[in-house]
This record gives sequence, C-alpha cells and structure tokens, in this order.
Amino acid sequence: MSVVRNRCALLMVCLVYLACPPAWAEAPPLTHALTPVQPPVPAPPLRLANLDDEVVDLEDLRGKVVVVNFWATWCPPCRREMPSLQRLSQLAGDQGVRVLAVNIGEDLDTVFSFIGMLEPAPSFPLLLDQEADTLPPWKVQGLPTTYVVAPDGTLAYRAVGGREFDHPQLVRQLIELAGSAQAR
Amino acid sequence: MVPIWRAQADNRQRGANLKNVASSVVLVAMTLAGAACAAQQRHHVDPETGIETWELQTSGVTLSLTQILSDQARAFYVNRGFPVAVIDPYATACVFMTVLRNDAAPGSVHFRQADWSVITSQGTHPPVGAQEWLRGFERGDLPRSALIAFRWAQFPVEHTYEPGGDWNQGMLTTGLSAGAVFDLAARWDVAGIGYEGVLKNVRCSQ
Repeated sequence: MSVVRNRCALLMVCLVYLACPPAWAEAPPLTHALTPVQPPVPAPPLRLANLDDEVVDLEDLRGKVVVVNFWATWCPPCRREMPSLQRLSQLAGDQGVRVLAVNIGEDLDTVFSFIGMLEPAPSFPLLLDQEADTLPPWKVQGLPTTYVVAPDGTLAYRAVGGREFDHPQLVRQLIELAGSAQAR
Repeated sequence: MVPIWRAQADNRQRGANLKNVASSVVLVAMTLAGAACAAQQRHHVDPETGIETWELQTSGVTLSLTQILSDQARAFYVNRGFPVAVIDPYATACVFMTVLRNDAAPGSVHFRQADWSVITSQGTHPPVGAQEWLRGFERGDLPRSALIAFRWAQFPVEHTYEPGGDWNQGMLTTGLSAGAVFDLAARWDVAGIGYEGVLKNVRCSQ
C-alpha cells in the first residue's frame, strides 16, 4: 500500500514539474551586458531545422546582425529571457537584427508545449538540435549562452547566462552594429 | 676600482633589496585582495517550502547554494527519461542549485569545479562532477535526450565569466547524505590571481 502511495506521490510531483520546472530560489536579476569577442572570429556553421521542419542556415542571414541563443525548456534562466528575445525581435527586426534560438536536446512536442505558454510567443525561428551537436563548435559550456553574429559573419558579442534582451541599451547596441554594416 | 668581492656583495644587496620590494608588493596585494574578499554571507529560508539558500558576495562575485529536495531532483530527471532506480543515487547525493555570477570582479572569472572543496568534519573532497555521474549512467541504456538534459542541467565543470553579469545556474552534488552540514570553498582566478569564497555551515536537505 505504501509503495502505491509513494508512486502516486512521485507521479503527482512529476506532473507538477512537467507543467512547471522548479525555480528553487529567488532568481538573480538579469543584466543587459554583452562581452565583445576579441578578436572577432568567424561564427561556426549553424544549419538546423525549425519547428516546421524547414532548414535554417545562419549563412543565409549574412548582412544581418543575428542573435543566436542556445537554450532548453527545463533551464530557468532560458525561460526567463525568452520573452525578452521576442520583444527584441519586434523592436529591432526591421532594423537588421534577427534572432535564432537553438533548443538543445528536446523534441518538437516539448518545445511546442513550452512556447504555447509564452506571452509574447516567439515569432523568430526556433531550431532543434536534439543531439546537442552545435555546442562544442560554438564553445557553449552552460545554458543559456548567446552570441551576437555581426553582419560580416564574425562573432561580435557573447553573453553567458540569462539577459534582458529588450533593454534599451542592448537594443541600441545591436541596431548600431547592424547600422554600421549598412553604412559601409 | 671596486674589488670583485665588494661588487658581488653589492649585487647581493641589490638582489636582497629587490626581493624585499617584491615581497612588500606581494604583501600589499594580498592585503588588498584580503580586504576586497571581506565576504558577506546571507542565509534565507523560503517561508512556504522551508528550502534554504546560502549566498555569498565577495570580490565582485556572487555564489549561492539552494537546497534541492531529493523528490525534486528525482522528479526532474524522471520527467526526462530516467528510471527512478537509476537517478536515485544522484537525487539522494545532496544536490544544490548553484549560481556563480561575475557582477563586478576586476576581470574574467575562471573556475574549475575540481578546485572546489566540500569540507566536513570527516574530511575534504571536491563536488561530484557531471562526468562522474554520466560514467555511472553509461550502463543504464538511457535515452540520449535524458543524458543531454542531465549533462546540461549540471553546474558547469569549468567556465569563464566576464564582468557585468555573466553567470550560470546548475545542479551541483556534494555526495553527502541527507542533513549533512558542510562548508563549500569555491575557488576562481582573475588574471592569474587566486580568490576563494567559503559558504559556511551549509546543510543538505533532509
């Protein structure tokens, strides 16, 4: 009887966690600082299917500033920063800034059910890397990690850990990077 | 004409002076670093769950440990494809949600988890690294997605955080039993200078 009771209790906990991964503690504040990549190096290749099973290639976005975000649904800071990536996309999308979010190790259903809970829901491409193959070439050691790819295809900035991507200073920084390429 | 013995003696004196100056510089630097390291530890108990957090701010770096109940850890990984029996040794190995953040250190913070120490009255050992757990899981015929989730949900074994807010949050296991009390000595370096932050009297969840 107690075995059944224990299993029921575990099942209940599992159901709760399926809907809402644990936050465990008061979350640290998100900042908006980006670290310049010095010297700038070419961005590693990135070619993955999106949720509609269409292949998205970073190379095709040459000439734009591309924010490449590596994330997972179970990662609390990834979940926190995702709406700010959407707001960045809305604020700066028509000024040469694009966002790509690479989900690590999860399937289509998991990602779909997560984005269904987001407000605003992401309208930028969500790419699936189920084998986590992109992490070594992009030198990702923890999630989330975000890179900013300059219009010339080099890595311009890096951010380890969650950020507030719609902070006015950060938005301005990215628009200026996009604008500097157009001015040349 | 200076006799050779006198020149040698002068050189020895100059060498000794240089050594004294170098020692003084090192002493001053250590004193400054020590002053900067005047750490402040805080302890917080969640009034609803009773879950405890220990946080330390020192030398521009924030370090915190928050208890993860064994049921929480078990449920998290069962949801990601682990059988209960496989994840149980991990879930009961005193897991903490760990945050390390470079708020305003004087440069890049580089750390290796292997350099950290879990200190108890019984002895000292480093936290149990992700690779150690993963080696144990190899025999379990687990879904690849489960192993990927496990690997990336752990606190990084090594990383470099830039000033201005680089940080990570991840799970860290001490390998201790429920209710054990320990100190965690976290170590990192900034431009080759070593720093240490010690969280004292941290308690594993029951």
